[in-house]
Amino acid sequence: MASKMSLSSAADAEEQLKLRFQVELEFVQCLANPNYLNFLAQRGYFKEQNFINYLKYLLYWKEPKYAKYLKYPQCLHMLDLLQYEHFRKELVSAPCAKFIDDQQLLHWQHYHRRRMKLFQEQQEKMQPPPHNKPPPS
Amino acid sequence: MASLNTQTRLFMLIDDMEMVAKELFELQLMNVPKSQQKDGADSVSLMELLIQKDSEIKSVIKLAEEQAQIQKLMDSLKLEVDKRDSEIKNLQRSLKEAETILATAIYQAKQKMQAVKQANDHSTSSEEIIKFAHRISASNAVAAPVMWGPGDPRRPYPTDLDMRQGFLGGMCTYPDNSRHPPQTQTSTEQHLPTMPGGAMQGIGSSLSWQPSQEVAMTLTSTGSHHSIHDLKGHNKENEDVELMSSDSSSSSSSDE
Repeated sequence: MASKMSLSSAADAEEQLKLRFQVELEFVQCLANPNYLNFLAQRGYFKEQNFINYLKYLLYWKEPKYAKYLKYPQCLHMLDLLQYEHFRKELVSAPCAKFIDDQQLLHWQHYHRRRMKLFQEQQEKMQPPPHNKPPPS
Repeated sequence: MASLNTQTRLFMLIDDMEMVAKELFELQLMNVPKSQQKDGADSVSLMELLIQKDSEIKSVIKLAEEQAQIQKLMDSLKLEVDKRDSEIKNLQRSLKEAETILATAIYQAKQKMQAVKQANDHSTSSEEIIKFAHRISASNAVAAPVMWGPGDPRRPYPTDLDMRQGFLGGMCTYPDNSRHPPQTQTSTEQHLPTMPGGAMQGIGSSLSWQPSQEVAMTLTSTGSHHSIHDLKGHNKENEDVELMSSDSSSSSSSDE
């Protein structure tokens, strides 16, 4: 590994480490995109042992001192799922990716929907019901 | 012969005395018409027998009295024993209750200690948590923006545009004399400048994900022998595989 590095000075090594950090940060967050996962699955990346090992290696992002740099924390869940071979196999199909995408969107909107529901309920309480008066007999 | 039961003995003695008295009276009654000597001897012996029986009865009665006193003592002692017994049972009950209460208290205290230990082990500063919460919420990464509609390009994950504008996308250049010429190209393909910073960049115009339009990109040879996974390696599969394997072996050596 050291022999592959063109420059062996300590500063350069630190630079490489920084680079590696940024690269792996971006890549692990890309895993939150189910379309991207479908893309990877269709090109057979999930079948290679090296890639599988790399996914296992990326699990270090779950530790708090690394996870605090993530912007899309859902990627960690996808990373967990990707450890299972069954999931990797399932991702080859586009409907599977679409399903995950839909669920992600629905979950994303969950908080907003709850708030809207609360507002609606509040509004209904404020307005008196107009059609509830019984006709005089 | 001594019967075991004082009461039976007493009754037997009384019966005997009754019999002797009856005989004596009969003798006396029979003695009235004719007087004989041996009758006198009999009556004397009967009288003596009577006196003896009387003394025996008296002694047995005395014995009975003593026995009655002993019985009284026994009863009082038994009463005491019963009292002590019930006190012991009460104490036992309270001990058992105390034991269960203590066991529950200890169990809960242990759980509390575990929770405290866990909290101490994984302590994070509140400022960091707030920073993290702000980072993931402000960019609408975990909660949808308020006016989001079905046509909106924003997504809870980095979109393909985000990926291209990011650090990884910027590290790749176009193939100039590549082994596999690219088949299709999108209009946005140009050499994107590398962007510093670890987070993904912002959002642009809507571009839906179209894997068929990915461009083959090679890695720059600026000494970056890192795990750079080619995002759009549509045509460069083999090269990517090679790079991946070499990078994985170089950077993720612990897993090999």
